[in-house]
Amino acid sequence: MMLNIKVILFVAFSMLILNACSQVRPWERGYLSKKEMSWDSDILESALNDHIFFSKEASSGGNNAAGGGCGCN
Amino acid sequence: MVKAPKMQHSKALRRKRRSRSLLALSTTALALPGIATADAPPTESAVSYKISNYKEDDLSRREVLFGDLNRYDIDVHQFKLVSPLGRNMAINFDANYETLSGASPWFTTAGANGEPVVNLSGASGIHDRRSEASIGARYYLENGSFGGNIGYSEENDYRAVYIGFSGERHFNSDLTTVSLGFSHSEDEIFPTDAEIFNRIINDDKQSSSVFVSVSQIINQLSTFQSAISITEQTGFLSDPYKLRDVRPEDKKQFAWSNSYRRFFVDADAAWHTNYRYYHDDFGINSHTADMSWHQNVGKSLQIVPHLRYYSQSSADFFTNIDNPLNPLTEYQSSDYRLSAFGAISGGINFILELDKWIVTLSTERYIAKEKYSAYKVSQPSTALVKYNRVSLGFDYSF
Amino acid sequence: MNPTLKRFSINAMGSFCEVQIFDESRINAKNVTRKLSSEVHRLENKFSRYRSNSFVSEINFSAGNRMGVRIDSETQKLFEHAQSCYEQSSGLFDVTAGVLNQAWDFKSGRVPDQSEIDELLEHVGFNRLSWRKSRLMLPAKMQIDFGGIVKEYAADAVANLARRLGVKHGLINMGGDFAVIGPQPGDMPWPIGVADPKGDGSLMAKIEIMDGGLASSGDYERFFVHEGRRYSHILNPKTGWPCSGLRAVSVAGNLCTVAGSIATIAMLKEESAGVEWLQQSELAHVYMDSAEEVKGTGLGTIESK
Repeated sequence: MMLNIKVILFVAFSMLILNACSQVRPWERGYLSKKEMSWDSDILESALNDHIFFSKEASSGGNNAAGGGCGCN
Repeated sequence: MVKAPKMQHSKALRRKRRSRSLLALSTTALALPGIATADAPPTESAVSYKISNYKEDDLSRREVLFGDLNRYDIDVHQFKLVSPLGRNMAINFDANYETLSGASPWFTTAGANGEPVVNLSGASGIHDRRSEASIGARYYLENGSFGGNIGYSEENDYRAVYIGFSGERHFNSDLTTVSLGFSHSEDEIFPTDAEIFNRIINDDKQSSSVFVSVSQIINQLSTFQSAISITEQTGFLSDPYKLRDVRPEDKKQFAWSNSYRRFFVDADAAWHTNYRYYHDDFGINSHTADMSWHQNVGKSLQIVPHLRYYSQSSADFFTNIDNPLNPLTEYQSSDYRLSAFGAISGGINFILELDKWIVTLSTERYIAKEKYSAYKVSQPSTALVKYNRVSLGFDYSF
Repeated sequence: MNPTLKRFSINAMGSFCEVQIFDESRINAKNVTRKLSSEVHRLENKFSRYRSNSFVSEINFSAGNRMGVRIDSETQKLFEHAQSCYEQSSGLFDVTAGVLNQAWDFKSGRVPDQSEIDELLEHVGFNRLSWRKSRLMLPAKMQIDFGGIVKEYAADAVANLARRLGVKHGLINMGGDFAVIGPQPGDMPWPIGVADPKGDGSLMAKIEIMDGGLASSGDYERFFVHEGRRYSHILNPKTGWPCSGLRAVSVAGNLCTVAGSIATIAMLKEESAGVEWLQQSELAHVYMDSAEEVKGTGLGTIESK
């Protein structure tokens, strides 16, 4: 039940964001396409961080499928 | 020669309604793959290698009753190869190798004054290595991509096989991207010296995870992403090396992540900020917030200071002192990772780009303390870690 | 720190192409120019009708094959844009019109018989293509020529790739069709001269562009005069006869591809209809009419936003 409410909130929140956005034409996306603007600008760095935090903290998951495959937790 | 008066072209366009022909021609032109900014497979191969040293601060004798004072010292080698395969596909190969030494908490007892004292594992400590390899492929479509990977990880007491699939699709003239993913891991645990210490001989656990994320371009300088993931783990979720560690055989986890990126033109820098809320049915809630500033310096250097805050509440069955009178039929664990604590970490990374090479130096200091917790700490844990991490990475594209 | 200019030129798509970029990004300019040049060659090898081994030649070789030919998504999108051009111009802009050139020899200046033209007209018409997603069936004796689209598309695609590689100031010239990546350093526009269609080396217009695309269409040098009448190489796919509208058109817009399609359609229309089309397009433009007068609106410094 708790999960359902969260999912609904998430969807509602996403819709809100979508509506608030202006049209950004493809040729106006030069800055957005810079490497330092990507969601994951250094894949090995974030993989290592995820791995360490996963083994030292109770939380995992988020913007990708949560890990496993390690006896560290 | 014509030198027409400087006309406010853009304003003129906004005033009038756009011509239908212009709109029709623009729409099909914008869909052309060279113009559309949708996903494109990598055009060249890249190899990456990163070596990292992770070292936890030693505990003091005051905190440790018995065993080694040295905690984990881990060297991690990461290797990645991404290569285009044909026009619409990319394959990747990943390999990780870790060597680990040091000791880890074994059980917790009460000290002379009733304060919890950690007993670290055997005087000889732990020497272990972990090897992992995975391969994956990704196929790029005109408005998205999908891919999968399969991997294998092995330690001397642990084995895991995992698979994952994910797909993403761009909508709304590529302003919006929706991603979906699924992963599953089959893990096998076979503790060392099981018979001597009366540990379980072997057991297994399964993890399945799904996630969905929505990314949105907000304006010419900023983007936002929100994602949820739901994970269920079943099987043997306890710590086989701890003497009194009994956890439920089923765990459901929920995480909601939000990310924001903004570019500052004048500063020539990008600002990243992320927040995650986490909840599981062991009773743990957590907040994670981090931010980083990606500052370009000259043509080839980028300096990235980063800061992270983490705080979790304790699991319902966490106890900071193992009670030998507790029946083993009751859930209990003194694992510090199930206690309420907070952690602050930060560091600075340097990224140097030289033609086909990228050299990255990353540093991080991490300090976990019960007093950093945003949640009420009724039972502080003793074994909270502090560590330093230094990494040196190389990327080469060809 | 003064950004330095890197440039290279190549002959591609049957014309002179040039790329100029200012090295102000973190990414090495040499590396960038290497990637841009390979993108030009990729498009050239795929879409040039001047190359017998190009994909377009493969499509044309398949004419009459009932199995058709498989086309990839980039080619599909080009066909979709070609369809858009065909519809918006009421059939004047037709990528199948190339076969009409067989009747018109601009070197000898011979006016063909109507019967020759009529015979060729049977093999012209975008609506005769049967084209379902990834499969195209080209009827016998028909030909595809992306000439009016692919140079402009190449300019946009190369500029887009340059932007992705971090270039902030650059100019892509694909045989007279331009895509501009931001102004020159110091916020200076790029000056672009449009040649006079008379071909005497003089300029019809000098245009300054800050960002976006500029495309030109005209009967530059390729026309002949027979019995007092001027025959342009731009052929009307409905009649098979040369168009007698505007002499030259340049259009600026955010995308060179769109500007090019608008300019080409303007040339294909009757003179007054062409002028009206340009005005309705709402894009900045300059043109030379049949009286060799140069007119237009909006082409001073064009800031495409």
